[in-house]
Amino acid sequence: MKDGLRPHLASYLLAMADDEMVLAHRNSEWTGHAPILEEDIAFTNLAVDEMGHAGLWYRLHSDLVGEDPESYPDELVFFREAPFFRNVQLVELPRGDWAFSMLRQYLFDAAESVWLPALEGSSYPPLAETAAKIAREEIYHLRHTQAWIRRLGRGTEESHIRLSRALAELWPYAVQLFVPDPAEDELTEQGVVPARADLQQAWMTKIEADFEASDLALPESAAPLSVDRRAHSEHLVGLLTVMQSVARAYPDVLW
Amino acid sequence: MTDTPWPRFYVFKQDSPEAPHMNCGSVHASDAEMALLNARDVFVRRPECVSLWVAPAARVAEVTVDGLAGLAPQADDAEGQAYEVFTKAAAKGQHAHVGQIAAGSPGQALRKASETYPDGVWVWMVVPSVAIVASPEDEGQAWFEAARDKPFRHQSFYHTERLIREIKAGQLDPEGDE
Repeated sequence: MKDGLRPHLASYLLAMADDEMVLAHRNSEWTGHAPILEEDIAFTNLAVDEMGHAGLWYRLHSDLVGEDPESYPDELVFFREAPFFRNVQLVELPRGDWAFSMLRQYLFDAAESVWLPALEGSSYPPLAETAAKIAREEIYHLRHTQAWIRRLGRGTEESHIRLSRALAELWPYAVQLFVPDPAEDELTEQGVVPARADLQQAWMTKIEADFEASDLALPESAAPLSVDRRAHSEHLVGLLTVMQSVARAYPDVLW
Repeated sequence: MTDTPWPRFYVFKQDSPEAPHMNCGSVHASDAEMALLNARDVFVRRPECVSLWVAPAARVAEVTVDGLAGLAPQADDAEGQAYEVFTKAAAKGQHAHVGQIAAGSPGQALRKASETYPDGVWVWMVVPSVAIVASPEDEGQAWFEAARDKPFRHQSFYHTERLIREIKAGQLDPEGDE
């Protein structure tokens, strides 16, 4: 890979890592509060997985910016202020009800299920290898959330209403996942990362089939509510305050 | 989390291709597919697993050595359907899968199981083979392999316990100015 591309790829990876990290934290808020014990364990597991994936992306990012891959991820997660996070707003929204959290995780899993196999073809080998590792696990995540949205969509009248409401709310946020960064074009030309437009097409095809099995209508194509990953909702500040509180209270402790 | 109206499913876990499926506990779920997914997260946090089975508790029948005499005599000898047989040698321990028999009813299946696998058994369990749902064979990697790469799921990965003790004991001050 050309040296000039390194900063661009570093930004790309930071955005992916932040998406996974913030979503993992939001999902972890269900720990102890899920509808039944079994699902509490399952969804907590899934949150831990996403956090593990974030860790892998932060390491790659650290390598590219010349920082220590062991210690720099903690610095990024626990000592960065909200304006410096690069996640989409989709993942920072409050957890809402069970349908909202399940559908958000499903939309994200479905995106990863087309994204990761495409990244496996990256011309930057560390990225291709990491994507392959994560893709294996995402098969299972997608199964889990697919199963849930089918049951909520075709369950009771109330579960259907809640799921439809969640979709209407999440949709304009979800499409932000496919807004490319201006610096991304060259990465795509060099085969380092896939083109987001192609990914969005594959994602739509995938979710359309699952929505049909869930009695959900695919929404009209919507403009993303935000196109700039530097812009955040007011919810991110509150999330970071909780997530960073212990690390900031004891900054010299090795966890 | 309150009482759930969802049915209970028995979970059977296989630790290696050579080992039998062992009853490791149960989960509540709306249906068999969800039961399998939940079983994976509840019972396969550590990597020793190659296959999972679940079966609705309502379809599982068992009898102990002492209860054998109380089984209703089976007039009907028809071989209605296949049953998977599990046994264990004592009250403690797990039921292990030992084989398959054919029978016309759960009661007859238990009687046949006790005759086919008589030695050293304290309790026989039978489940109609059709009532068992197995984890997908072609997705073994996604279901079970991933656990191998996750040392962070083990308690020993963290120093947290000791640290929290020290924090609680006031041995560490906030803001790092200890």
